[in-house]
Amino acid sequence: MAMNGRRGYRSGLVNLEVGEISREIFVNEDIYAEEQERIFARAWLHVGHESQIPKPGDYFVSSMGEESVILCRDRAGRIHVFLNSCRHRGMKVCRYDEGSTTVFTCPYHGWSYGTDGRLVGVPYFREAYHSRLDKEKWGLVEVAQLCNYKGSIWATWDAAAPTLSEYLGDFTRFLDLQLDGWDGREGQAEVLGGIQKWLVPCNWKFPAENFSGDTYHNISHRSVDLAGIGPSGAGRRDMGERDASRKLHVCIPDRGHQTILYVLPAGRLPPPAYMNAPIVAEYFRHCEEERRRRRGDESRLIGAPGEIFPNTALLSRQPRTMAAWHPRGPHQTECWRWFFVDRDAPNEVKQFLRDYYIRYSGPAGMTEQDDMENWNYAHAASRGTIARRHPYNYDQGRGTAVADYEYQGLRVPGEVIDLTEVQSSEQPMRNFYRRWAEFMEADDWSQLATWRSGERKAAE
Amino acid sequence: MAERDARIDRLLLGQEIADFLYREAELLDERRYREWLDLLADDIRYWMPMRRNVKFGEDEREFTRADSDINWFDEGKDTLVRRVKQIETGIHWAEEPRSRLSHLVANVQLQGAEPSFAAAQQVSVTSRFLIYRNRVQTETDILVGRREDSLRRNGAGWLLARRKIILDQNVLLTKNLTFFI
Amino acid sequence: MSAPINVRDLVPGTSVVLADGAVAEIVSNPGDGMWLFARYLTSPSDPTLVGQEEMIFAPDVVALGRSAAV
Repeated sequence: MAMNGRRGYRSGLVNLEVGEISREIFVNEDIYAEEQERIFARAWLHVGHESQIPKPGDYFVSSMGEESVILCRDRAGRIHVFLNSCRHRGMKVCRYDEGSTTVFTCPYHGWSYGTDGRLVGVPYFREAYHSRLDKEKWGLVEVAQLCNYKGSIWATWDAAAPTLSEYLGDFTRFLDLQLDGWDGREGQAEVLGGIQKWLVPCNWKFPAENFSGDTYHNISHRSVDLAGIGPSGAGRRDMGERDASRKLHVCIPDRGHQTILYVLPAGRLPPPAYMNAPIVAEYFRHCEEERRRRRGDESRLIGAPGEIFPNTALLSRQPRTMAAWHPRGPHQTECWRWFFVDRDAPNEVKQFLRDYYIRYSGPAGMTEQDDMENWNYAHAASRGTIARRHPYNYDQGRGTAVADYEYQGLRVPGEVIDLTEVQSSEQPMRNFYRRWAEFMEADDWSQLATWRSGERKAAE
Repeated sequence: MAERDARIDRLLLGQEIADFLYREAELLDERRYREWLDLLADDIRYWMPMRRNVKFGEDEREFTRADSDINWFDEGKDTLVRRVKQIETGIHWAEEPRSRLSHLVANVQLQGAEPSFAAAQQVSVTSRFLIYRNRVQTETDILVGRREDSLRRNGAGWLLARRKIILDQNVLLTKNLTFFI
Repeated sequence: MSAPINVRDLVPGTSVVLADGAVAEIVSNPGDGMWLFARYLTSPSDPTLVGQEEMIFAPDVVALGRSAAV
C-alpha cells in the first residue's frame, strides 16, 4: 500500500473521532520509511546521560532512530553528538560501546576526527589531495541541536525544531520527576553502569504506546504480581499511593507527550515504601519529607509511566528508568534502558535499587517479559492481509478529558482524565497518535509548532 | 602409584561433577523446576553480567561489575524461587505456553577442589553451554557461553552455591530470558 | 620496503624514522594504531617541518629511533 504523496493520516489511518487506528501504521514498510524522515529526523531524541561521559575524551555510542551516533565530551569539556560514520566512505569510526579517546579514526582509509568532530588526520593530504581538501567541511556530521537537561542529553537533526524546553512544554515537570533527587533537589540523578540493550520482534510504537500510559493491561502482569517481587514484598511495586491518591492520565496535546500520574491529597506524604529494606525505607521517608519542604504542593505529584514523543519512555518510580525504542525496521525494535539512582544516595540504597531494577525490568526482568510477549504476537498477528483491514480500537474514555483539572488546589496541566473511579482510559494513546499523524503530515516545524499560533487542540 | 591414585581421584570427582551438571540441565529441560531449586544452596548467587565491545587492552571495561552495575541476572534463592513460581502461575504469558528447551553442557573442566580431590567439600568447575530454545510455532533462540560454578558438598550430593554466567552476546538477541541458564 | 611497525603502543618520547628520512619524536599517541602526534627533529626533504608537530600516518614509520627513558 504505497503512501507516496498521499497524506491524510488523520482522516484515514488514524481516526480519532471514532477511536480507530489502522494496523497499517505498525506493519507497513512504506509508512516505516516515512517515519524515519518525518519523525526521527525531526524530533528530539534521548541519547544518554552526562554521567556516562564524565571526563574529556569519554564517549558512549548511542542510537538516534536507526542510526548509530557517538555521544562524547571533547577536550574542552563540551558535549557533542555525532553520526557514527566516516565522511569519506561511511565506515563506523567507533565500534566500541564506550570508552575514552583523543580521536575517532576510521579503519578503512585512516581519516581521523577529534572529539569535537573536526577532521584532523587525512593520510597523504599533501601528496594525494594536494592540500586542497577543505577539512573544515568534512568533519563528523553533528546533530543540529543538543540539550543537556539536568544531565539527560537530547539531540535533534532538525535545526528548525524548537528548543527542547519548548518541545517538552508543560511535560517538563514530569521529566523533572525522573531527573530530580528523591528529596526534591534539582537534577541529582546518575546512571548506573550497564545499559540494557535487546531486540523485540515488534514495531517501536508498541512499547511507545504502552509507556504512554497503558492502564488497562494489568492482566499482562498478573503473574509477576502473584510472584511478589515488589520492594515491600508484595506485587511488583509499592502501590501505596494508589489508595491515597487520585490517579490521572495527563496528556500534553500539542506536544504528543503523556503520562500516568498520581496526585496526593493536600498535606499528605506518600505512604511508606521499600519495606523490605529498612535502610531504604527510612531514606525514602526522609527524602519525601525533604521534598515536601523544598517543593511544597508540587511534592504531591508522584510519577508513573510516561512517554516523550516519539520514543522515550519514563518511569520515575519503581523502577526508576528511561528507555528508548529504536526502530530496526517495521517489525523489530531495539530497546535500550538506562537505570537511575540519586548520585549521593547511600550505597545500601543504590544496591537495593539495583537488585530491584534487575529483577523487574528488561528481558531478564520478571515484568517486562510479559509485555514483550504481547507486543511480539500482536504485531505478528497484524501483518496479514485480512488483519490489516481491521483497525485497533482506541475508544476507551473518548471525549471525557478535561483541560482544567485541579485537585485540592493543585492544578495539573494538559488534558486530564481522572482514572480513580473509571480505572482506565486510552487518552494517552490517542494523544500520541494524533501527534504521530501530525508529524507524518507536516512539511516542516512551522506546521508542527501549533502552540505558537495559539491553537489549542480541543479534547475530543 | 600415588600419582596414578591422584589422577584417578580427580577423574572420579570430575565425572561426578559433570554428572551433576548434566542432571541439573535435564531437570531444567524437563521443566522439573522444584527439583532444580533443590539443587541450589540457600545462599546461592546466580548472576550474569552484560558485555560491552571494548578496545583491545581495555578488558576491565568489558563486563558489567557485580554489585554496582546493572546485570542481566543477579539473583539469590528468593528471586529464583519467585521466577519458578511465576512460571507455575500458568499465566506468565512470556512462558505460557512453555518453551521447549535443551541445555547442552560441554567443556566441563574441574578447576579445583577443597580440601582435596579425594575428599572434596567445595569444587569449582567451568563449563560451556549451548541452550536451544524453541517456542510457540517458529520462535527459536540459541544462547552460547560459559559458566563458572562453585559447588558445595551436601551429603552424598552437591549444591550449586555460585554461578556466574558469561553469555556470548552484546545486544541480547532473544526477546526475553524466561528460562535458566 | 621495510617491515611494518605497530605504532599503537609506542610511548611519547620515542623517536620514529619516516619513509622520507625525517626523524620525529612522539608527543602523544592516540592509540588507534594509525596515527601519531609527533614533532619533527630532522627533515631533510622539507626543513620547514623541523620543530613542527604533525600527525604522522603509521605506514610512514619505517623504523624506531631512541625510546624515551622509563
